[in-house]
Amino acid sequence: MEKKPKKIGVYICHCGGNISDYVDVEKVRQSVEGEDIVFIAKTTMFACSDANQRDMVEDIKANELDGVIVASCSPKLHQLTFRNVSIRADLNKYTYVHANIREQASWAHSDNKIGATEKAIHLVQAAVAKARYAEALETNKIKAKKAVAVIGAGVAGIKAAIALAEKDTDVILIEKAPVVGGRVAQWGSLFSTNETGADMMKRLSSELLKHQNITLMTNTEVIENKGSVGNISLKVRTTSDDVDKQQITEITVGSVLMATGFDFYTPEEGEFGYATSDKVITLPEFKQMIDTQSGKLIHKGKEVKNIAYIYCVGSRQTDGENTYCSRNCCTSTIHAAVTAKQKFANINNYHFNRGLRTYGKQEILYADSLRSGDIYLQSYEDGLPTVVTEGKKTIVKINDILTNGREIEVEADLVVLVTGMVPRSDNNTVGSLFKIPKGRDKFYNEVHMKLRPVETVIDGITIAGACQGPKNIAESVNSALSAATKSYSILSKGELETDPLVATIDPDKCTWCGACEAACPFDAILKVEKGGKMIAEINNTVCKGCGMCAPVCEPDAVNLIACSSKEIMSMIDALV
Amino acid sequence: MENPIKNITYDALVIGAGIAGGEAALNLANTGFKVLLVDKELSVGGKMIMLSKVFPTLDCSACITTPKVSEISRHPNITIFTGSEVGEIQKISDHEFVAKVTKHPRYVRVEDCTACQLCEKACPQSVRDQYQFGLIGRKAAFIPFSICSPKAAAIDINNCTLCGACEKVCPTNCIDFTQEVEVLDLHVKTVVIATGFDMFDAKKMPRYGYEQYKNVITALQMERELAPTRPFNTILRPGDGKVPDKIAYVLCVGSRDASVGNPICSQICCMYSIKQAQLLMGALPMADVTIYYINIRSFGKGFEEFYQQAKGMGVNFVKGKIGRISEKEGGNLMLRYEDINEGKLQEAEHDMVILSTGVLPNTGIDKFFVNETLTLDPFNFVGQSDVLASPARTSIEGVFVAGTATGPMDIPDSILSAGAASSEAISYLIQHS
Repeated sequence: MEKKPKKIGVYICHCGGNISDYVDVEKVRQSVEGEDIVFIAKTTMFACSDANQRDMVEDIKANELDGVIVASCSPKLHQLTFRNVSIRADLNKYTYVHANIREQASWAHSDNKIGATEKAIHLVQAAVAKARYAEALETNKIKAKKAVAVIGAGVAGIKAAIALAEKDTDVILIEKAPVVGGRVAQWGSLFSTNETGADMMKRLSSELLKHQNITLMTNTEVIENKGSVGNISLKVRTTSDDVDKQQITEITVGSVLMATGFDFYTPEEGEFGYATSDKVITLPEFKQMIDTQSGKLIHKGKEVKNIAYIYCVGSRQTDGENTYCSRNCCTSTIHAAVTAKQKFANINNYHFNRGLRTYGKQEILYADSLRSGDIYLQSYEDGLPTVVTEGKKTIVKINDILTNGREIEVEADLVVLVTGMVPRSDNNTVGSLFKIPKGRDKFYNEVHMKLRPVETVIDGITIAGACQGPKNIAESVNSALSAATKSYSILSKGELETDPLVATIDPDKCTWCGACEAACPFDAILKVEKGGKMIAEINNTVCKGCGMCAPVCEPDAVNLIACSSKEIMSMIDALV
Repeated sequence: MENPIKNITYDALVIGAGIAGGEAALNLANTGFKVLLVDKELSVGGKMIMLSKVFPTLDCSACITTPKVSEISRHPNITIFTGSEVGEIQKISDHEFVAKVTKHPRYVRVEDCTACQLCEKACPQSVRDQYQFGLIGRKAAFIPFSICSPKAAAIDINNCTLCGACEKVCPTNCIDFTQEVEVLDLHVKTVVIATGFDMFDAKKMPRYGYEQYKNVITALQMERELAPTRPFNTILRPGDGKVPDKIAYVLCVGSRDASVGNPICSQICCMYSIKQAQLLMGALPMADVTIYYINIRSFGKGFEEFYQQAKGMGVNFVKGKIGRISEKEGGNLMLRYEDINEGKLQEAEHDMVILSTGVLPNTGIDKFFVNETLTLDPFNFVGQSDVLASPARTSIEGVFVAGTATGPMDIPDSILSAGAASSEAISYLIQHS
């Protein structure tokens, strides 16, 4: 049957200057206008704006277009937006083709406008070439298991588990330690409430236990992860005090919520006297000291009067891995200092800081501490304080910028290193199991800080609390409840649509050499018998369409739907 | 969907259609609940839709906001009332509130308007454009801004002379002066407060000369100068239209300052100023940009790196609080400040000054509730009854709070806070259904 030639609409986005300041969008438009299948070619200020989306729907309907192309930003941001436009105009969403001329052209080549324009032209021409062969496809529908595995039973994990249970979702809460409560359970008085951390976690734990649909597994670790969103099967290992007794349990959930928390930075030996002077301790150690002692504050048998706090240890490093600010330590330190002063007699607090970051309402705490007589001494990153031991004395020195760079010394009975939050050391095991990407700071990374702040690029895996980056308690809870909402909204309908963009096997060509199976990062390839020989078969619900299997297949039996050799070759022709 | 239905029951009322309210509404709607989203402005999108780019990723703000706005506007489970105000909210039973919502007439039938702008051209009345923060004017018949939603004209009746010029030119006859105020009693099961924040009025600090010296503007005005839909299509100082080349930022204007009644830190001004400084360096490569600060608070994910990047680009950071600004002949400004590094008082001349004004609460929210008490915190933000363990809960059961209604916060934190508020609201609705 002779097919009617396709009619395609092409929209080139200015992105309000993000693209059009560097790429001549009109030239790009002209370059594809003459192509036989291009029926409409337009430029637009914001392709994603509501008004333009409406125009696109009208264009598609009025001109009976077979598909559209938008040349704009990364498909990560807006492919979904424009697939939805296609749906609203009664087109199959897979007829939509996206061209990225912002990240790949205007932003990457902002120093070369002519080159950027030329590259954008090629990218849009390649998209036209792809659109020529793009076919209507049907999504796969799979049943989703309405259960979530929450990993980590600290404040974020517990709050997420409760929030999910309240939404009639089954929860399996997995905790590596023998008890729940995480870091917060170890803390005494908390800033902004009268409750201690231990009491708060006790309150939340008893709320947790009220929910029948939460299964709590302590002493338990995830050791295997298979499947994909909707049907994730995990193997977990529970150990008991009796080391020989290990129990392996298999569980199936629809989504996994990671709430694995953080580690405190451990200073290196000799870093501000750590481990070389017995007067130097870290902030968590100090907090424990003030929580457990009463009367006089005693360290190593001696009464503590002068306390020096050295801020940003392991954070905001100029030559170190941790360039980030650890966010909660300024407030945490001042709160501990104020608490110590209230609880013990004769305490003098000296804060050796790099600019206080008591943001928002926490500013009040800083003002209180100033009023109570705490001394603040500040330096920049190039003039950090030093800790020197002279005989039995421990002296902290700084060139204080608040007093015109004067050298000031404090003889300290105790030096508290304000150690920040760092990614957990076991992130490499459990994180790698789920293939969660990490950011520059090595914390787990979200898809988009503002659009999808608790989702990861792995469908169905959400992240909550301090495993995503330093946070205080309220911020962790907000992120935990957001992640719970997201995991719930993925599963609430009981059914999921998955992309049909998966690999296919040509059974005639396949000779089962196993190369594809070895290349597949998702364990989506099975060995089956068909027509009297062993061949590969794709598990559609697990396959991500990543394409790793296609190039290793010698007999060329693997084809990727929507990235067929025909489509890719024609795109390459347009690009070179 | 904009929808004129009266006296209907919704699962949730979300007050405020900014980024927090929008996110909360979407979460509720995506899990099957019917949402009424009310905003007093003529467009959804709140303050974020007006911004240029956002820190620390320098994503274009419109590119992030518009798809959300579009999703909200089109969601079958969301009913939007723009140009509308919530009046009294009464709790009539355990899980039922009645909210009085006043819909102010737009004098334009939104469904018929094509945003052709002919009415704008025909209208003889000019007034200051609040959506450009007074930088330029607009007409009394106007489209709020280019990416507003719904994209439709509105008549500013207070400034309209009823000359009828707009009606005559309107090709779809969508202008309708017979529209009246509608007051609706709406039944809802839960309420999410996402009323956002107000900006400190820089006129309250006369020593900085805002609205007295023309080349002193606020950071929100600079946002508009930098935005893709900017009014001048370049950066210029309002006094004489000159392109500035020595720009100063004054931080903590109306924040961390008990003398103006706001002792807390606004949490966003350091970062938005650093962001603007970077954008200015890009737009005006020859310009000097100096930021006068007390402490730089770049505490969020990627923020410290963003601050270091600004330093690397050549933004000049001076630790010192500005005491007074005076104007020289020709419109340049003299800044008198305490230079902490030098340990003395200094003066510096700049040709344009941007005041990084702080975040204040929107007032009057507690007055909505007639038979219940909505507790406020000491700074008049909405009080959080269990601030650490359940930050979205308020003093009223079934009423939750999202975003900057609880205190200053940046966009990512507002979105997470909205996620928490919607989680609480969804749980509440499921538990009490």
